[in-house]
Amino acid sequence: MDDDQSAEETAFVVDEVSSIVKESLEAVIGRNPYEQKRVNQWVSSVVEQCLGQLSKLSKPFKYIVTCIIMQKNGAGLQSASSCFWDNTTDGSCTVRWENKHLYCIVSVFGLAI
Amino acid sequence: MEEYHSGDEVAFSPDDASNVVKELCLCVFIGQCIEGIVGGVDYSQNKVNQWTASIVEHTLTQLVKQGKPFKYIVNCAVMQKSGAGLHTANSCYWDTTTDGSCTVRWENRTMYCVVSVFAVAIAL
Repeated sequence: MDDDQSAEETAFVVDEVSSIVKESLEAVIGRNPYEQKRVNQWVSSVVEQCLGQLSKLSKPFKYIVTCIIMQKNGAGLQSASSCFWDNTTDGSCTVRWENKHLYCIVSVFGLAI
Repeated sequence: MEEYHSGDEVAFSPDDASNVVKELCLCVFIGQCIEGIVGGVDYSQNKVNQWTASIVEHTLTQLVKQGKPFKYIVNCAVMQKSGAGLHTANSCYWDTTTDGSCTVRWENRTMYCVVSVFAVAIAL
């Protein structure tokens, strides 16, 4: 039982990270329409808030958080990532979120120290 | 009609003067990879999947070939030009003396492409 707990404390838990991301998106963007003047602020706030919450987990990881916000107007958007790391210790989580006016893709990469 | 030249706009992250970025020639690789895969072609919904996958794989392969002690993350987004607004941001919690990143923004007549590479040092 102790082993499982300590493994969880040092592992990249996708569900945990996914919740952190979703909460940040709801808090920062919520139901707001796409606004050119504010979206710059939003992307910054989303990544900063996610990073802040992740570092509070106090796990032995370095983190990279990326965020894309796109206005809904029919344009196509495709995103891909590739990682060269240690499969046993590192992990990632991508959350695709939307409201009536915009799409948002947030990716979190955790690399074990 | 205004002509768009590919590769004209290159955006650098604040880290671009760092030793890591220079050592790995990150920005050069990224630009070459994008140009090689989507230079001169129009946005195509059927092919965009293939393009993003090729760009990230090709970039990663070139980086790994250098044999340096880094873990890499390569991220690529391709967006059709149709007047929509697009904003991207990255934030990193790491060792600023050993780790670095580079972001390149590329466009042609019909699409935008934003590629970011993050290099995280492996402790030896």
